[in-house]
Amino acid sequence: MKIKFTIIFPLIILLYTNAFTQEINLDKTKSWYVPDYVKTQFAGNIGLVSVGAGYQLFNKVLYTELLYGFVPKRVSKAENIHLITIKNTFPIYRKEIGKNLTITPIAGFAATLDIGTTTFTTLPSKFPDGYYVPTAFHATLFGGIMVHKDFTKPKIFKGMDFYVEIGTVESYLWYAITSSVVDFSTIFSADVGVNFYF
Amino acid sequence: MKFIRNLLLTAIVFAFTNCDHLFEFSVYEANVKTAQKNTTAKNLKLLEEIKIDSQDFKFAFITDVHYFYDDLKTVIDDINNREDILFVIFGGDIADQALLKEYDIFHEIMTSLKKPYFTVIGNHDYNSNGAFIYKQMFGDYNYSFEFNNNKFVFFDNIYLESDTEVDFNWLSSELSNHANYNQVFSFAHIPIISDDITPAMQEKYNSLMIENNVSLSVHGHTHSYSYEPGDVSYLIIPALKDTAYGLVSVKNDTFNVELIEL
Repeated sequence: MKIKFTIIFPLIILLYTNAFTQEINLDKTKSWYVPDYVKTQFAGNIGLVSVGAGYQLFNKVLYTELLYGFVPKRVSKAENIHLITIKNTFPIYRKEIGKNLTITPIAGFAATLDIGTTTFTTLPSKFPDGYYVPTAFHATLFGGIMVHKDFTKPKIFKGMDFYVEIGTVESYLWYAITSSVVDFSTIFSADVGVNFYF
Repeated sequence: MKFIRNLLLTAIVFAFTNCDHLFEFSVYEANVKTAQKNTTAKNLKLLEEIKIDSQDFKFAFITDVHYFYDDLKTVIDDINNREDILFVIFGGDIADQALLKEYDIFHEIMTSLKKPYFTVIGNHDYNSNGAFIYKQMFGDYNYSFEFNNNKFVFFDNIYLESDTEVDFNWLSSELSNHANYNQVFSFAHIPIISDDITPAMQEKYNSLMIENNVSLSVHGHTHSYSYEPGDVSYLIIPALKDTAYGLVSVKNDTFNVELIEL
């Protein structure tokens, strides 16, 4: 837990510092490490709500993001759930549907780390060697539609994305592939999110 | 902007009208569907409706599904075809990572079973938030019921994963009225021959079985078959991936054990 925090806490701090620096240098060329956008997502197995920041890489071929997700006790019906996610989205093509408005089919994958107390990244010593595989890591796969809008008179943000996705988790997909009694329709769930560009 | 707003509104309306897991927030959620709650209590009600004239009856024992769902279905279908089996006991490891989805798949498949079933919690079922899910979906970890003047005792003997001491006091008091019954049957996930419980626990369990005249103690966990008849007989049934199940024929004050391999 302590190790997890020493890694994650500075990362979050770094992100937020960057976000503030960004506002000051709004009209200047930004440094390579300053995120291109901030975002929030609802659902998608990475939290009830997740927030974070991301980069458009390789000439906007890949959107990569670091997110923190949270599920409160009341919703999880167990403990509070805290998740750290690296999400990668690939825009498949872009089609203009209006003035400063484009629509993009998207697909991608995310890796999620649970930083709560009920899971582990390395097997606790109370268990015999190899008794369990780590329970704190999961991957999600998703596809969806993203709409991008450029703002003509940017104040804080230059533009925004809105997206809807359908996704699943690697274990669920494995069960559906290996078991004929597990229907594919039962393993997918939806999520929605927005990105705001600086 | 109007288009985006409409999309957003549609999404929100969708969220509120389709609440049964259209949106999933984490694999670790323990938000059990209403229809799947209190399964043990529901099955006890179903069991009450079964009335038989003779002292003889049969029950099946299946265990350790992990994620071998097709094998579970195969075994369930076979049990459904046998009218002589009155109910089914599941020996634990309902789930593998103890994710809600795994519990959900298990519950869904078990709805095709045409007989009541009763579960005991396994070590895998305690992973992550599994204990919360088990409690909501099935009920108490330790419980018992009577059938045809026989007592069936379900005992949670998981201590590593639950980080709590196994409740031998409960077991002891539950078994104390054994003399009122033709026979007593005990079920716990980990057998006493396994090193996954401490030697002290093995000894304590065994002595409670002997003291209280338990006929048969049935387990899973090792994924292998073993039967040791004795004053207290010990039966271990292989995991469901072997498409096998145990069949126990109860006769007045004796019983017979069979391994059915499909």
